Amino acid sequence: MGGSTNLEAANTHLQAWACSYSRSSLARSLEGKLDFLDGLIIPQTCDTMRMLLDLWQQIRPLPYMENFRLPRQVDRSSARKYLLGELERIKKGLEEFRGSPIEAESLHQSINLYNHNRQLLRKIAYLHAHRPDLISSRQLYTVINGTMIMAREKVNRLLQSLTEDLEQSLETSGNGSRIRLLMSGTLLEPFEVLDFIEEFGGTVVADDFQNGFRYIEADVEPGRDPLEALAERQLNRIPSAAFDLEKRPRRIFLTELARAKEARGAILLHHTFCEPENFDGYDNLRALQKEGLQAMRIETQFGGAGLGQIRTRVHAFMEMVGGVIR
Amino acid sequence: MTAKNVFKTAELMKEIMKNYNQAGREAKSEGIPVAWVTAVFPVEIIYAAGLFPYYPENFGAVAGAKKVTHQLSAAAEARGYASDLCGYARCGIGDAYSDEHPVGKILEPDLLFCCNTQCGSLPKWFEVAGRFYDSPYFLLDSPRVGVETDQLCIEYFIDQLHEMIGFIEKQTGTAFDYDRLREVLSLSNEACRLWNEILDSAALKPAPFGFFDACFHMAPIVTLRGTRAAVDYYRALKEEIDERIEKGITAIPEERYKIYFDHIPCWPKLRWFSDLFASHGALVVASQYTHSWAYSFDLERPLESLAESYTHEFVNRCFEYRVNRKISFMKKYNVDGFVLFSNRSCKPNAFGLYAKSRLIREQTGLPGAVFEADMSDLRLFSEDQVLAKLEPFFEQLKSNRTNKEG
Repeated sequence: MGGSTNLEAANTHLQAWACSYSRSSLARSLEGKLDFLDGLIIPQTCDTMRMLLDLWQQIRPLPYMENFRLPRQVDRSSARKYLLGELERIKKGLEEFRGSPIEAESLHQSINLYNHNRQLLRKIAYLHAHRPDLISSRQLYTVINGTMIMAREKVNRLLQSLTEDLEQSLETSGNGSRIRLLMSGTLLEPFEVLDFIEEFGGTVVADDFQNGFRYIEADVEPGRDPLEALAERQLNRIPSAAFDLEKRPRRIFLTELARAKEARGAILLHHTFCEPENFDGYDNLRALQKEGLQAMRIETQFGGAGLGQIRTRVHAFMEMVGGVIR
Repeated sequence: MTAKNVFKTAELMKEIMKNYNQAGREAKSEGIPVAWVTAVFPVEIIYAAGLFPYYPENFGAVAGAKKVTHQLSAAAEARGYASDLCGYARCGIGDAYSDEHPVGKILEPDLLFCCNTQCGSLPKWFEVAGRFYDSPYFLLDSPRVGVETDQLCIEYFIDQLHEMIGFIEKQTGTAFDYDRLREVLSLSNEACRLWNEILDSAALKPAPFGFFDACFHMAPIVTLRGTRAAVDYYRALKEEIDERIEKGITAIPEERYKIYFDHIPCWPKLRWFSDLFASHGALVVASQYTHSWAYSFDLERPLESLAESYTHEFVNRCFEYRVNRKISFMKKYNVDGFVLFSNRSCKPNAFGLYAKSRLIREQTGLPGAVFEADMSDLRLFSEDQVLAKLEPFFEQLKSNRTNKEG
C-alpha cells in the first residue's frame, strides 16, 4: 500500500519517526487514494504494524478492519495451534462481514489459484537467474509486485504467456553473464536500486523481501484442511526479521542462500525506522562477510530515498565485487 | 519527590537492591543460572525454578538516570544499530561491544527469556544478545488483546508456559516444583497488593506520595516480585506512608493540582520533571506504567492465572482499552489534567498518542499536553521543546482553577 510521496499528510497523526511504509500508507489513505477499499487486514509483524490499525480506524475507518495476529515464535507446537485459532477467527469475522459462510471448496480453489500463481512466478524467477538478459531484475520484481495487486485469475494468464515467451527465447543466444547478487531486507523499495545494479553489471538472483522471494517461495499444501495448510505454510516460510526462528536463523539462511545461488555480493536494504530489520542488520552483514561475500547496507525509505547517493554507493560496491563498469 | 522530602525507606531500598545485584554477581559461581527476563514477564516461574532473574531494562534505566545512554549507545551505533532504536536496547548492545562500562558491566546471561507483551524491541534485543553471548533464548509470545478477555491468547500463553517449563527443566536438569511456584505467587500477590495500596495513597488530598516517588520505589516490584524481600520492603514503605499521612507530610509542598502522566518517566530528567511539576503545585498521581504490577494470582490455577494476568496487561491491549483505562485512572485519582509522553524509545506507547489525547480531552473535558522526548537518551531531549508544551498546560490548569473558584 505504501508509496505516497506526501508523507507530511500523516504527520498530524503518526510521529515522523514511524517508518515511511506505515506513514506513506496512512498518507495515501488520508489523501483518499484507498477509499475504494471495503476492508483492511494488517498482519502484526512489528510494533508499528501492531499500532497502525487502531490508529487508522480512528482517523479513516473502513467498513471491515482487522489485525492478523501472527505468532512471533514459529518453531514450537503452540504456535501451530494458536495460528489455526487465529485463522479461524479471521475467517469467522470475514464471514460475518460478507454475510455468508466461506466454504471449504472455495478455500481449496483459492489455494490452488495462488499456488499456481507462485509456481509461475518462481519459474520466471528461475529463468531470470539463468538468463538475466531475457528478463531483468527490475522487470522480474515489477512482475512480482504487479501480481500482488491484480486478480490472480487474470494475472496467471499473463504470467503463463510471459513464461512461454521466455522459454522460447532461451533458444536464442544471449549474454547471461552478470555479477550475481543477493539482496535482503523487509521490502524492496525503491526499485531504482535494481536499475543501478544492472547498470553496473550486476543482477539480483536471490532475496528475502516480503515483496520478493518470501512471497513466492512456498506453496500451500493442496488437498488437506485448508486452514491447517495455510497455517503450515505461514510457519514454514523463509526467515524474516519479524519472526523468531531459533531452528532456522536468518543469517544462516542468507549465507546458505547466497551459496546456493552462487551470489558474489550482498546488498542489505534497510528502511529507516524499521526496527526489526535494524536489529538483524549487523549480524546478517557480518555473517555474509564471513562467508566471503562483499556485503553492504543501504538505508532508504518510501518517498524520500536519495537516488543519486544510492547509485554512487551501488557503483562503488559493484567495483569492489568486480562488476563490469560501463 | 523533592530533595528535602526523601523517604527513610529509600535507604532500605538501596540496601535490598545492592543485595540483589550482589546475588546476581555471585550466582554464576554458585551454579545458579542467570536468566535475563523482561519487566512484564511471569518472573514467578523463574524464581520458582531457582534461577536468578536479571532485568536488562533496569540496566538501561540506570544508564539513562546516570545520563550515559549516548556513551553506551556509541558502540552499538558504530555497528549500524540506529540511534532511533529503543534506548535500553542500545545500552545493552553497546555495553556488550564496549570496553568501557560507565554503569558497570551488564550481567551476562546463561539463559534469556522474553515476553513480548511490552513491545517488539525487547525480543529483537534479546535475540541479538542470545547470539552475542551464545546463550539459549526463549520467547514467550503474547499476541495483542482487544477490549474483551481473549481466551485464544490465554490458551496460547498457557501452552507456552508448559513449553517454557520444559525448556527450563531441560536446561537445569531439575523437575519444576509447582508447590514452590504457589509460594512465589503468594509472595507476588502480597507485594502487588501492598504496591497498589501505596500507589492509591496518591489519591489523598494532599497526597503523601506521587508518581515520581513511585518511579524511585518501583525497582523491587519489578525485580523482586515473588520474593520475601519485596513484601518486607513494601510493608515498610506502606508504614512510612501511613506515618506521613498521620504527620501531614506531603509529596510536594503545596499541592494544587493532580495530574495523570503516561507512560514511562524520562529517567535522565526525573528530578527536573518532578521539580517542574512541583513548582506549579502539580503532583503527578498516576500512570499506567507504575500500575503495571497489579497482579492477583489464583494459587489453585497457577499457570492459567499467570497467563490471564500477563497477556491482559494494558501494554498488550488495543487503542480503545488503553484510552478507557487512562480515563478510569483519571477519574479514580480525580485529576485536573493529563500529560502524555511521546517516547522515542517506545513505539507501542507513543504511536496513536495524539489521537488518544484528542479523545481523552473530548471525553473528560480535561486539559492535556503531549510532549516528545526519549526515556533515556538526552540527545533526544530538549528542555525548551518540552517546556513549550508544558507551560501552556500549566497555564490552562491555573485558568481552569480560577474559573472554578471564581
